[in-house]
Amino acid sequence: MPETLASAGASRIWGGTLAALALALGALPFVANDYAVATGLGLLMWLALTQSWCVLSKMTGYVSLGHVVFYGLGAYLVVVTWQQWPLWLAVLAAGALAAVFAALVGLPVLRVRGPYFVILTFGVAELVRYSILAAEAASGTASRILFGAPDLVFIYFAMYALAAAATLLLAQVAGSRFGHGLRSLRENEEAAETLGVPVVRYKLIAFVLSAAIPGMVGAVMALRSTYFVVGQVFDPMISVTMIAMALLGGGDGTRGPILGTLFLFTISELLWANAPLAYMLILGAILAGFVLLAPDGIVGIAAKLRARRSAPTKAPE
Amino acid sequence: MTTPLLAVRCLGKRFGGLVALDDVSFDVAAGETVGIMGANGAGKTTLFSLIAGNQQPSSGGVDFDGRPITGLSPDRVCRLGIGRTFQIVKPFPALSVLENLRTAAMFGRAGFRDAAAADRHSRAILDELGLADVAERPAGTLTLSGQKRLEIARAVATGARLVLLDEVMAGLTPTEVARMLETLRQLRATRGLTLLVIEHVMRALMDLCERIVVLHHGERIAIGTPAEIGADPRVLSVYLGAGA
Repeated sequence: MPETLASAGASRIWGGTLAALALALGALPFVANDYAVATGLGLLMWLALTQSWCVLSKMTGYVSLGHVVFYGLGAYLVVVTWQQWPLWLAVLAAGALAAVFAALVGLPVLRVRGPYFVILTFGVAELVRYSILAAEAASGTASRILFGAPDLVFIYFAMYALAAAATLLLAQVAGSRFGHGLRSLRENEEAAETLGVPVVRYKLIAFVLSAAIPGMVGAVMALRSTYFVVGQVFDPMISVTMIAMALLGGGDGTRGPILGTLFLFTISELLWANAPLAYMLILGAILAGFVLLAPDGIVGIAAKLRARRSAPTKAPE
Repeated sequence: MTTPLLAVRCLGKRFGGLVALDDVSFDVAAGETVGIMGANGAGKTTLFSLIAGNQQPSSGGVDFDGRPITGLSPDRVCRLGIGRTFQIVKPFPALSVLENLRTAAMFGRAGFRDAAAADRHSRAILDELGLADVAERPAGTLTLSGQKRLEIARAVATGARLVLLDEVMAGLTPTEVARMLETLRQLRATRGLTLLVIEHVMRALMDLCERIVVLHHGERIAIGTPAEIGADPRVLSVYLGAGA
């Protein structure tokens, strides 16, 4: 559901919460230990990925199950150019590589809708994963170690910048004429095209925009792990987690991904630490519960509660 | 002779071995209202899809305002000034009625860049179509009659000069048909629209149109004023089965 219906009071509260969150995350490396900073890094990473995923999938309804391919390509580029390219260049090039790859596969892939698109994106990601695995095996490098990677705080702030950029990007798209065109084609592509929306071009632009930041996120995370395994950076679970966070959040603005990421990330951390065996079970139950009972996620629940609270006061009008 | 606003030239469309439309030609002058008549499967909706760019013709072409538009994508045709409604309504169900029109106002020939200006333009049209009260409702919650009106409102909101109306009165009660005819007359007058109308409600078509094109199995079998069409022996034989 579009978020134009949100009341002014609610958006003030939301603005305050968002500023507090940004401040807290910005201050974290100065007050906390390495474990907390690494946890914060994970949160920022998922935030950047989920917001980017939403630029395509929430806005257009084309659900990508292969977004990890951009993350993996970005990571791979940094590893391959390690100590040959300056780091800043490698990270930017990772974003560019992801964007170019999206532009190339986008035209054919975006011709199919619904489940076909979902499966196709998954297939493309797996194809790239196995191609790179094969290339690595042929060249005799099963894994690589990165020596001299930057420290955690540097990586943390790079990720902070990417999370902020992804949030701004989605906010910008959601509030623009371009975003309105995307929403229209999500609702009915043929009608949107007949009303003047250049659907082919718009879908492709959305795909490219949603790919660039995940490419850079992958590049930055490659620095963190220092030990590079192809299977890890192309893990389909990364794609699935983005979707789960976006679905739990709901809506097609920036608050859904933020709420969904915070919620799922917190639960994962708690369960992982306290009940590793029950982790997957409980996670599955939560996801199934949301899909069945609250298909528009946390944002949808909040909107319903607001509507219920304001209904009696509106009646006498 | 002035250039017609729409010129359909020898238009043909085949789907494999099936001929949906065969060598159909006619003109529509600016400001004119032309009806398209024909049984189910006569090729009426195919004709609309070819004009609006939703499908590409197998032969022939379409000129709009003196320039060929054959082969253009639907969004480009729309920006040139042709709006169309769909027989099976295609609203943006989760968006509000006003947001449905905003799309048309921003991306059609009207081309508003700014949402506020697009909404002012849209609200005026919702007023004319009697949809002002439901402007904030999700379009998916409207009645069939309301969704038919929304189809027209969106097509008009694009800033179209020519509007293709595909059975906008089908499934409506007689009272609703009468209201719809009144609305269409008003729209035509206030906005100087040219209309091409597919309709099964015969009385409505005879009432509204200056000329009527009759299609049968994809072929144009007659063209003329409602009175001429009503007296045409071929039309009568096809419709009433005389001599069959």
